[in-house]
Amino acid sequence: MSERKVRIAQLSCGPDYSGVQKEINDAASAVGAEIFYPDLTLHEIKQNYKSFGLDVKSGDLKLAIARAVALVKGAVDADAVFITTCFRCAEAAITRNELRNYIHENSDLPVVSYSFTERTTSGTLLTRMEALTTIARRKALLARQRQVGITMGIDSGSATTKAIIMQDNEIIGTGWRPTIDVVESANEVIALALEEAGIQKSDIEAVGTTGYGRYLIGDKINADLVQEELSVNSKGAVFLADCQTGSATVIDIGGMDNKAISVQDGIPGTFTMGGICAGASGRFLEMTAKRLGVDITELGPLAMKGMENTVPMNSYCIVFGTQSLVNALAEGHSKADVAAAACHSVAEQVFEQQLQEVDIKDPVIMVGGSSLIQGLVRAMGNLLQTEIVVPSHSQYIGAVGAALLSSGYVEQKKKEERDA
Amino acid sequence: MREDKLKEGIRDGPEYAGSITKYVFIESNHTTPNDLALHAYELAAPVMIKETCFGLQVTGDPDDVEAVITRIREVDPSHIFVKDRGFPPGDARRCRANMGGARPGYFGHEAEVAVLRYVSYGLQRMYHGDSISKSELEIIHPKERVELSDEHLLEIFNRDV
Amino acid sequence: MAKVFIYPTTSLILSDMVTRLGHIPLGSALSVRDRVQQGGVEGIDSPPLNMTPDDAKRGLKWAAVEVPAGIRGRMSLIGPLLAEAEAAIIMNDPLAFGCMGCARTNELTTFLLKDAGIPVLELNYPETEEEGFAFVMAIKEFLAGLAQKGDEEKPEVQHE
Repeated sequence: MSERKVRIAQLSCGPDYSGVQKEINDAASAVGAEIFYPDLTLHEIKQNYKSFGLDVKSGDLKLAIARAVALVKGAVDADAVFITTCFRCAEAAITRNELRNYIHENSDLPVVSYSFTERTTSGTLLTRMEALTTIARRKALLARQRQVGITMGIDSGSATTKAIIMQDNEIIGTGWRPTIDVVESANEVIALALEEAGIQKSDIEAVGTTGYGRYLIGDKINADLVQEELSVNSKGAVFLADCQTGSATVIDIGGMDNKAISVQDGIPGTFTMGGICAGASGRFLEMTAKRLGVDITELGPLAMKGMENTVPMNSYCIVFGTQSLVNALAEGHSKADVAAAACHSVAEQVFEQQLQEVDIKDPVIMVGGSSLIQGLVRAMGNLLQTEIVVPSHSQYIGAVGAALLSSGYVEQKKKEERDA
Repeated sequence: MREDKLKEGIRDGPEYAGSITKYVFIESNHTTPNDLALHAYELAAPVMIKETCFGLQVTGDPDDVEAVITRIREVDPSHIFVKDRGFPPGDARRCRANMGGARPGYFGHEAEVAVLRYVSYGLQRMYHGDSISKSELEIIHPKERVELSDEHLLEIFNRDV
Repeated sequence: MAKVFIYPTTSLILSDMVTRLGHIPLGSALSVRDRVQQGGVEGIDSPPLNMTPDDAKRGLKWAAVEVPAGIRGRMSLIGPLLAEAEAAIIMNDPLAFGCMGCARTNELTTFLLKDAGIPVLELNYPETEEEGFAFVMAIKEFLAGLAQKGDEEKPEVQHE
């Protein structure tokens, strides 16, 4: 049975003139959604724009503002909102941020914003669109707060593959391996998790996959749930941090991209996902550890002993970041100071480039493998002026979320078996 | 045949490479889009005519469209306004039914239509042969704020004080 | 008959006035028509305007690479018209969208027009009947001036 299309209202300036509107349409269509433009009269445009109060010169931004007001008022029906404007336009960036906050604060509509260049492809937009449609379509699924039965979650990330087995709301098995061959690494972590749990594969009642390799793995092991990492990680984070109701912010500095998600009652509201340059990723910290001759697990404690402000390091680019690192060591700075500076540099890039786009509300939960690097968590806490929460098993966040969400299928399957 | 295609109704823009489309707007209480369409049909030109809420859209070969437009303009010269359109009518890429909302250009037209009556008034007087004085003409030019020179300011000050 | 760039490039009023008074209006509809129709000719399918990332690259002729893609894309529609323009009529503070929806593109367009050394007429939108009359007559005088200028220049052109 085909599901009803999710209707995503587009508020934008410029995508049709940059050759990327088709990419947006294609990404939406790939996840069972359709883009539409809220219809207003000229009078409504003038009235709504004026009532919002942000003075912009561009007509298309005025139109975007007016349409946002109509969505919040409920004058136009939509399931989700996609705000998109040109990368590097200041007027549009201000409008985009204000509209995103406005919609997030004044409606239940999931909203995502994105600044495009002419190089933006539907592939880049896919995960964002998938998250938008999931939130709109599967609110009941995402509302699940308790894991039931025996379920497994697999997170096939760009750097590592993780598996988690849960039984009756408790983690009973874990597996973690670097991602080499996507399927083989998944098989390895599944074997590790099964061994730790002391159960057979046939005991598992439902499986969920997430991460870059989710489709491939999901297909190979016949997963019940194949889900992008934005909604899965949000769910895993609030579950592990035990804050399933109210607001929270989830930060995941990954190997290839970073996610910052503003969560309300376990459901993502606004989120950003970026990964243009590696100087702002976990990859840079891996390189730093290698250059300092320490294991990645030792980098955190080492950074905690150092003083970040003695070493100048602040680059979005991994090549320039590495240059600073090499220079600092050549100048005789201690390994501890360099480690601290590297952590601060990554935290600062994420803070400057991404966290401005989401509404930061306590508790701030850091997840993913990089959350185990204490120096990075401290640097982020300092920048955000808050105590960051790192829950247990935070490196398994996606796998936990997938195991939790897939348990929604356990009861469904049992019912189907009974009916059969 | 091009003519047959036009009659079939335009759904696929690219098939009409070489054709042009013009919008015809009427700013009048006396003339309806239907009146204009009837005049246009009198010419029996091989064009497609689509009536809309604001007037007509005329699509076809450039010469045919121009001939029809010239005829239509004669109906009420001061109250009929014509403009090129990039898309053929009903093009799925720009159709309100597919986009959920009006194309952006629609709002721009709506904004200009609000002042058409003043332009119509001006056109009537122009066709009537009225002349205009320089000072009357000035009112439509954007006024720049001229900063007073120190000397001029002093002069005003001395005079008034 | 002069080619007159109209601003707003989407203006119904200016497109009509220029045509009505015997000249050729250069507006964005002409460029959009090229894009929309090229789908059938070149097999391009990039709705709604059939503009592709290549258009933003073509826009580099008028704006540097650090300028947002939407501006460069719009300039790829407007720029070729600027090159053709023999005169321009600019209306102040239009409320317009789409091709005219970006203020930065509009600022660049009006600058390039003023910089081109062609005759430019700047006007307000009429808001009264008197202003409507002045509006029509100002355009009439401006276009008549172009025709005269064109006639004066013609022998020289032929001479060359």
